[in-house]
Amino acid sequence: MADARSLARPELLAALGGAAVRAIGERYRAMSPAEADVAALRHAIDDSRPFTARFFGAGNPHIDELVRDDFAHGRTVVIEGWLLSVTEARQCALYSFLSV
Amino acid sequence: MHTDARTLENGSLIEGDLCIVGAGAAGITLAREWINGGRRVLLLEGGGFDYDPRMQELYRGESVGLPYFPLQAARLHYFGGTTGHWAGFCSTLDPQDFEVREWVPYSGWPITRADLDLYYRRAAPILQLGYDEWTAAEWQRRDPALVPFALDPGAAWTKMWQFSPPARFGTLYRDAIVGARGVHLYTHANVVEILANEGTTAVDSLRVRTLEGKEHRVRAARYVLACSTIQNARLLLASNSRAVAGLGNGHDLVGRFFMEHLEMPSGNLATLGNKPPSTQMYAFVFGRTKARGEIALSAAAQREHRVLNSTVALAAAPLAEQGRSTFEWATPDVVDKMRVDPVVPEDVAASAAVPRTFHLLTRQEQAPNPASRVTLSNERDALGMPRARLDWRLTELDRRSFRGFYEALGRELGRTGIGRLQMRDWVMEPPTAPWPKSLGGGWHHMGTTRMHPDPQRGVVDANCQVHGIANLYVAGAAVYPTAGCVNPTLTLVALTLRLSDYLKAR
Repeated sequence: MADARSLARPELLAALGGAAVRAIGERYRAMSPAEADVAALRHAIDDSRPFTARFFGAGNPHIDELVRDDFAHGRTVVIEGWLLSVTEARQCALYSFLSV
Repeated sequence: MHTDARTLENGSLIEGDLCIVGAGAAGITLAREWINGGRRVLLLEGGGFDYDPRMQELYRGESVGLPYFPLQAARLHYFGGTTGHWAGFCSTLDPQDFEVREWVPYSGWPITRADLDLYYRRAAPILQLGYDEWTAAEWQRRDPALVPFALDPGAAWTKMWQFSPPARFGTLYRDAIVGARGVHLYTHANVVEILANEGTTAVDSLRVRTLEGKEHRVRAARYVLACSTIQNARLLLASNSRAVAGLGNGHDLVGRFFMEHLEMPSGNLATLGNKPPSTQMYAFVFGRTKARGEIALSAAAQREHRVLNSTVALAAAPLAEQGRSTFEWATPDVVDKMRVDPVVPEDVAASAAVPRTFHLLTRQEQAPNPASRVTLSNERDALGMPRARLDWRLTELDRRSFRGFYEALGRELGRTGIGRLQMRDWVMEPPTAPWPKSLGGGWHHMGTTRMHPDPQRGVVDANCQVHGIANLYVAGAAVYPTAGCVNPTLTLVALTLRLSDYLKAR
């Protein structure tokens, strides 16, 4: 499993900037109280990986692939009007914890 | 030949084979088709060759529904009609626009897109469009810098637009019409009533008035109304000497199904990646751009999400700024400036930077709605004709479609890694919520004499003949049963060419 700091770099960051990403992350945490700490968010992201990747490390997809797969399968969430993949919303939440 | 109806002796009788009422895009297109045709064609225009506030005043009306432009500002009442201030945006309707869509009440045309293909080709040069090319691939071949987004065509696609200079019919075709053999233009000839025969099965003649108080009679074998969506309905409804509810209105359909295009800023796009995708295909500079793409959902995706047809235009802009709707930026003053001043290409400083954030302007068809309608006001104009009363209304489907469209498009843009889409707050509100202040149309008027083979469901048949009136036809966007999501001018010119062929063949 990737470390939390590397996960906390959503692709959105370059486009929206840190403040907007932090706000999205905080909103996600408020919407998903069960994922309101770093460990829970890391596990939630890890649990979204395919079974073979989680248990055998086979074909472990890059985080961006997980994000695109979310969109392909409708695993999306609307935060601050942005239509986001659930995985990247979790990344934003991690960012809100770990960025200073 | 040209005659100013004000110079005729009062009570004159004007006779011809075909009478066209209205010299705008439809009327002039039709008249041009009959030059040297061996028939006597009468082209009646209420205004003159120049803008006249007294003529515009005849178009003033009431607006009792959703907020709308002043009616006298939305259409021009002189030779050339509203092409005198249009912006030149052209695109074709999509095949699904003609189909019955079970989630869109009253949808379906009695003709198909294929029936119009030939006429789109003929319409393109009339509107001074360079090419009859409407696919992104064709435009990319012409200019390799125009690269469409790599979208799954089953989900979304790049729909092409072309831009007329814009063609001002009033100056472009004036000499051809005035000098034409077989076409006689009468200016200052305002039709105030269509007089039917005793059985109201055919038009006997037209009553024509001038602002100076003269009244003439026009008689022809066949008549085509081409004086715009609202004015066509107004004239039919006001022609009630023999038919109390108005001519062609035996089933209370004339004036109903008035439609606009909802042109509203609805969201933002942020492109992603170290090398963001080229967006030159989607860029637009007024007066310079010949063609550009807008993004639309596929027909299959529209069916899956049960939404109306839409496109979205990208405008590079910082996210912190707010985009404006067509109603908000194209105010009557701005539109009038487009009439007065020649179109000057915008000067845009070249920038090497690829933009990464965009405002999204949606163009959405309005769902056909019988409650959205034109009726007659109790007030009369200077010619004694009842003014138009517009009751513009929208439905929950109109509202819900914005969100459905944006969610489906956002998923496809996310899946492909192109970027992320943000919806405006009002897009996410329930479909029963009031419309936002940015509610706006495109100054496009459609419907009111919709096309349907069944007289109980449409005013005109597939050949644009008014049901039950043997020699009366309608040209223009008034006959559209559904609006599609593109500006109406190209299609109305194409339909007029089709009507012309039909009339010639009879």
